[in-house]
Amino acid sequence: MRNFALSAIAALLAGAVLALPARAQSSRVQVKGELVDTWCSVTGIMFAQGTAHHQCAVWCAAGGIPVSIRTKDGAYYMVLRIEEQDSNAANPRYVKIQSHEVNVDGELIERDGVKYLFVTKVLDDQGVVNMTHAENGIQPFGN
Amino acid sequence: MKSLFNFAVVMAALTASPVRAADAWGIEHEKVVELTGRVVDIACTLKGDCPPNCGDGKRQLGLLAADGKLRAVVKGPVDFAGPVRDLVAFCGRSVQVDGLLVENPAIHIVQIQNIREKAEQPWARALAFEIDWQAKNGKAEEWYREDKVVKEVIGADGVYGVKGLAPPPPEKK
Repeated sequence: MRNFALSAIAALLAGAVLALPARAQSSRVQVKGELVDTWCSVTGIMFAQGTAHHQCAVWCAAGGIPVSIRTKDGAYYMVLRIEEQDSNAANPRYVKIQSHEVNVDGELIERDGVKYLFVTKVLDDQGVVNMTHAENGIQPFGN
Repeated sequence: MKSLFNFAVVMAALTASPVRAADAWGIEHEKVVELTGRVVDIACTLKGDCPPNCGDGKRQLGLLAADGKLRAVVKGPVDFAGPVRDLVAFCGRSVQVDGLLVENPAIHIVQIQNIREKAEQPWARALAFEIDWQAKNGKAEEWYREDKVVKEVIGADGVYGVKGLAPPPPEKK
């Protein structure tokens, strides 16, 4: 009876451990790319890069959609902190730098299909340099 | 009068139906889903940096499922707006949402359309952003053109984000 009780407790503890969320590993990274909104750009519902999409990217960041850095090879890093700014939804600092080409140093935590980035230092901010409006107009409404 | 009543019944069913299913958008990698999970502040879950009440609307939020899977919820049904204000009302509690799970190989994200706390409750459209914005700023056809921060940023740098670079004036007819 005692063995049964101990086995039951051990099974419960094992179940509890399995049910805990896995603690993701973090690593130090340097990421270079364009700040984009994490909906239009990922879903491809419109052309969503550079000058053509700047206004829409500003709308989305002001609306609280997460901002990501999109690298040249198409990877997305969802930004959850920029230096001392620990609010990351509709933060005016995030809104002001939409579409900028940046190079940042930060902590990367990957979990369940998302690369989350906590930026410790913005190393370079070139502003908006991806000139896409001549070909794509103003997305998505043309004004 | 009867047709007006019928219209009201249909609208009520559309906005609070227990059998409502989310709309597909035809996005590559999308699945129409119902998800259940605890509302969490993503940065808090990943790093233990936890302001009160999931950041009170200033933090990106996600759903943490019973199996430990964390889903980043990035979009709601309001144009150009996220779902933070819908979710933060349930900080730390379990909710059901329906919407789109987009498992793009580059990043996995969720758009929610409707939300409820329990299965027996009717779905509610996730419109908190619009409701809160209008309460603070008044009615607007297009909130995103009237928002104070948007006006400041676009006013300073223009629609292309580059000072001095502007679209040509519309041609005279």
